[in-house]
Amino acid sequence: MKPFDIVIVGGGGAGLYAAMEAMKTNPALNIAVLSKVYPNRSHTSAAQGGANAALANTAKDDTVELHIFDTIKGSDYLADQDAVEILCSEAPKIIRELDNIGTPWSRLEDNTIAQRPFGGAGRPRCCYCADKTGHTILQTLYEQCLKKGVFFFNEYFALQLSVNGSRMKGLIALNIKTGKVEAFPARTVVFATGGYAKMYWNRSSNAAGNTGDGQAIAYRAGIPLKDMEFVQFHPTGLRKSGLLVTEGARGEGGYLVNAAGERFMSRYAPEKMELGPRDLVSRSIETEILQGRGFDSPAGKYVHLDLTHLGADLIMSRLPQIREMSMYFEGVDPIEEPIPVRPTAHYSMGGIDTDNFGRTVMDGVYAAGECACVSVHGANRLGGNSLLDILVFGRLAGRTAAEEARRFEPAQIGAEELKDTEAALRSYMRPSGHFERYGTLREELGQTLGMNVGIYREASKIRKGIEDLAALSERFRHIRVFDTSDIFNTNLLQVLELKNMLDLAETVASGALAREESRGSHTRTDFPVRDDEKWHKHTLATLDRNGVRLGEKPVSMGRYELQERTY
Amino acid sequence: MKRYAYYLSCINESMTKEVDRSIDLWQNDLGIEFVKLHESTCCGGSNLDYVSPKHFALVNGRNIALAEKLGLDLVVSCNTCLMTIRTAKKKLDETPELKKEVNELLKKEGLEYKGTANVRHLLWVLAEDVGFEAIRQKVRVPLKNYRIAPFYGCHILRPSMVLGKDDPLEPSTLDMMIEALGGTPLPYEHKNRCCGFHTLLVAEEESLNVAAEALEEAIEIKADFIVTPCPLCHTVLDGYQAKALRQANVNSSIPVFHLSEMVGLALGYTEKQLGIKRHIVS
Amino acid sequence: MTGALELHTEEKRDITLRVFRFNPQVDSKPYFDDYTIQIEKGITVLRSLNYIKEHVDASVSFRAFCQAGICGSCGMRINGISKLACTTQVWDELSKCREAGIIKIEPLRNMPLIKDLIVDMDPLVEKMKQYSNWIETRMPESEIGKKEFLVSEEEFRKYDKATDCILCASCVSECTILRAHKEYVSPAVLLKSYRMNVDGRDAIHDVRLGELVKDHGVWDCTHCYRCQETCVKHIPIMEAIHGIREDAIEVRGVRDTSGAKHAEAFMEDIEKKGKLVEATLPIRTNGVAWTLQNLLPMAIKMILKRRTPPPPPLVKPAKGMKKFREMFREMTEHVRAEQKSHKK
Repeated sequence: MKPFDIVIVGGGGAGLYAAMEAMKTNPALNIAVLSKVYPNRSHTSAAQGGANAALANTAKDDTVELHIFDTIKGSDYLADQDAVEILCSEAPKIIRELDNIGTPWSRLEDNTIAQRPFGGAGRPRCCYCADKTGHTILQTLYEQCLKKGVFFFNEYFALQLSVNGSRMKGLIALNIKTGKVEAFPARTVVFATGGYAKMYWNRSSNAAGNTGDGQAIAYRAGIPLKDMEFVQFHPTGLRKSGLLVTEGARGEGGYLVNAAGERFMSRYAPEKMELGPRDLVSRSIETEILQGRGFDSPAGKYVHLDLTHLGADLIMSRLPQIREMSMYFEGVDPIEEPIPVRPTAHYSMGGIDTDNFGRTVMDGVYAAGECACVSVHGANRLGGNSLLDILVFGRLAGRTAAEEARRFEPAQIGAEELKDTEAALRSYMRPSGHFERYGTLREELGQTLGMNVGIYREASKIRKGIEDLAALSERFRHIRVFDTSDIFNTNLLQVLELKNMLDLAETVASGALAREESRGSHTRTDFPVRDDEKWHKHTLATLDRNGVRLGEKPVSMGRYELQERTY
Repeated sequence: MKRYAYYLSCINESMTKEVDRSIDLWQNDLGIEFVKLHESTCCGGSNLDYVSPKHFALVNGRNIALAEKLGLDLVVSCNTCLMTIRTAKKKLDETPELKKEVNELLKKEGLEYKGTANVRHLLWVLAEDVGFEAIRQKVRVPLKNYRIAPFYGCHILRPSMVLGKDDPLEPSTLDMMIEALGGTPLPYEHKNRCCGFHTLLVAEEESLNVAAEALEEAIEIKADFIVTPCPLCHTVLDGYQAKALRQANVNSSIPVFHLSEMVGLALGYTEKQLGIKRHIVS
Repeated sequence: MTGALELHTEEKRDITLRVFRFNPQVDSKPYFDDYTIQIEKGITVLRSLNYIKEHVDASVSFRAFCQAGICGSCGMRINGISKLACTTQVWDELSKCREAGIIKIEPLRNMPLIKDLIVDMDPLVEKMKQYSNWIETRMPESEIGKKEFLVSEEEFRKYDKATDCILCASCVSECTILRAHKEYVSPAVLLKSYRMNVDGRDAIHDVRLGELVKDHGVWDCTHCYRCQETCVKHIPIMEAIHGIREDAIEVRGVRDTSGAKHAEAFMEDIEKKGKLVEATLPIRTNGVAWTLQNLLPMAIKMILKRRTPPPPPLVKPAKGMKKFREMFREMTEHVRAEQKSHKK
């Protein structure tokens, strides 16, 4: 096969923007986008709220500097300040570019792009399209990629990087429709596979496929992962399914109320109230529940997100998806009664360690979006910054890969390697010694993570979690793929995804145990305060023979000095 | 005797005269009287609304106003006319400026669209006003040996926000009517599907494929005949049946009756009286 | 407000999912497998399928991703109707079962089958490309990203609802004409085309419209409203289709295609007679040659049955046509005046 100049793994916002930008940078390049789902199915579509940019359309006094400061403060000072500067100063350009190519942004009365308030932001700067922002951005990008003739390999599952020493030769992937393992020799590979928060399973708002495939592949190829312990719990997941009720609901004026009828946020963030940053609001809800002020049900304990005072008109015009979801999945019409909610694992701040241009430590390998950790979110991501991240850094990674691709010599991937990979997949189907069901292991994975490496963490619990994970990994050796067919073997995919989650869960738990402080989304009850002296740094998780090896990396500082983070 | 204004559909004035002829035969038997609106005009046949939305509102506002002048509900026996007139009514009722503009013009004829008259299908009037029980009692020749495939057609069901009588995906009124007349309604997958009429002149091959599927299923389930409340569906399923089935390589045929004819048969009228001999497929 | 809610358990019962199965590698033809499982009230069809896959039969194959009704992966036919499995409550389906307690699950129609409940989406993507389902921006290359378009609320509203489409292909599966001809543009692509064509930021409106009025395009729709009725996002798809037709007549004129001529003929007849002159409708739609070739044999049979529509001079005009015609023409003046002021 003729080697590709760029193989992009993942067809969400970051992957599609990377493809678009790479084609623009050098139209002569041979670019492929691989995705395990049709690109328009990607999880970007689920981002309801919006994307931050200091357009100053709604608040005339908003500036890029304010956006930078909010982001750094929100990150609990763990974000790299040079990276944040890129994120925020590129933001207005990105939003306008999307407008130019067809994203249906909601509008203000003066016909400019509308912006609304969002948690942790000093100004209303979140650009949105009703509550379908991610969906419409994804559609726009997919449309543009179809227009430009991007070469899509839809329903391909990435398996591994082909590496010879330190030299990356390309990617090996499973063609889901045929069951064949195929080689994608490539000068460069860009990972844009999204987050890993689905490892929390039922207490996760993520799509079934947000299993950290790119991170796991990179990790197994020896590329370090950064800040994996930071997993954001969104304050308002639906009680039964973990599905998300966007922050837009609070941005539009929704109240959080406990069983005593109190707007309890007054205790935790008296000024910002419900619009405090996510980690704080999540902890507040969890505290209310733990201290017995929540509601109880067979599906677990919860509090109320009350929108009833907003009125039917506003709910139907601004938050129609939220209403639909509450009705479909919870059986509650938010016009009539409050929505039962509790925190849900939602976003992974950690990911493949990259520089500000998407480069990893391995030549020719890049990463962007939730799959990467630049880091712009540090210990806690602000609402409206994740769409922005995938757009800005997806574009940058695409451009960088396009500029650098021809520096790397093309290589071939040997038939032997493909055969071995295929044999490894088939071995899961052998009955002898294979009896574990993926559903059981996955359930237990979610449970131990939720219990031991969840919102509140402490050493003994995390150690228990690490033991559980080791046991699960051992049992995984006996896992069985019961479906033996080649065509569209979704049972095989589930098992491969579980493997990715198991590998990554170990890095999450190890990072959580090592980081003896509380910062952003990472809350250690045994180390309740931020410890800048010891822990104002990133953790790096690298795979070696004995499992996770933890290293560290300094935070790049700039204009903003460390401060206590209060709201 | 309950009275209704009766809308004259173009197709029933020309190709399917048997519809109005059979209704004339039995209306009094069921205690209803249809007052024909000779001044009514073509509804635009699901085309006028996008050719010219304003003329569409005017024409059908007038059709309804003619019934309102008599203080009667408007009864329609063609699905597409029903859907079209009800769509116009919805638009007029929801858009006060449009209603005003239409009424300015209607003044010339001494008419006014008020929005008081309901627009209903013949089938609905029979089901709701006359009632299945009353119909059952009037039946003289029960259709008890007949296995009947009910073909509702689209525009008596969809869009449901305009029609709203039957479940658009699982309709039952026509089935119940068959039962009331003593016949056996068959479970018929195509009952809420399309006959293809509206693309007949634009994409004939596609259209006839659509019709052929519906016909084939009725033949397969061994129906004695298909019944439809819509003369347009009838025109395709009967008039174009031979061509459609030939295109589908099916060597068979099946009679197709109008709702009004089926009612007439059960009430004791002959095929000749009802105009059934006019059908292409016998 | 009271304290902790009472704990209560949901109603449970045994329900059978009758699932369409076909693996082209081993099966010569499709068949159904029955899975009877205990299901709790409040569970969706997708969660039931997941349960079956995890605990009963791992080989049952279907697509699912977000499980929240936004990605569009899990479109399938449930009790005969195309919808999303993740937003469909099992309890709501019980009343729709043909056999009590048995929910029938089948793949979407009108797309090539891959395996079990999985169909091939590529033909749909190809049509999106054929009909340029994207914005070709009016913004000059050098200005991109530097300034935003100003978009009025009124314009935004024209395409807002259409952008809800998640390409789940339920409408594609339900489409009457697509079933009759696989080349047909399909409802989802018409909706997307409409959405692009009413967007003021787009520069290729005429190109797209030119493609849409060709064979297998917008005029082939048979107004059956199945797409709209089954749309999982409740998008009024037929309004979009009518919107394209209205636009086509306005922009390209009525002589353009047979569909446009057919539609315009209604207008003419109503103005003249108040009634449709059906006898000449085929000629006006498709021309004399087509009519003779295609309709003559049928016409002979119809004449024998005295079923032909009357020739034009014999179509009896509706009563009171004089006043009606005045009104009709006056409305034409209104429309013209409006179009003029609009163009200014």
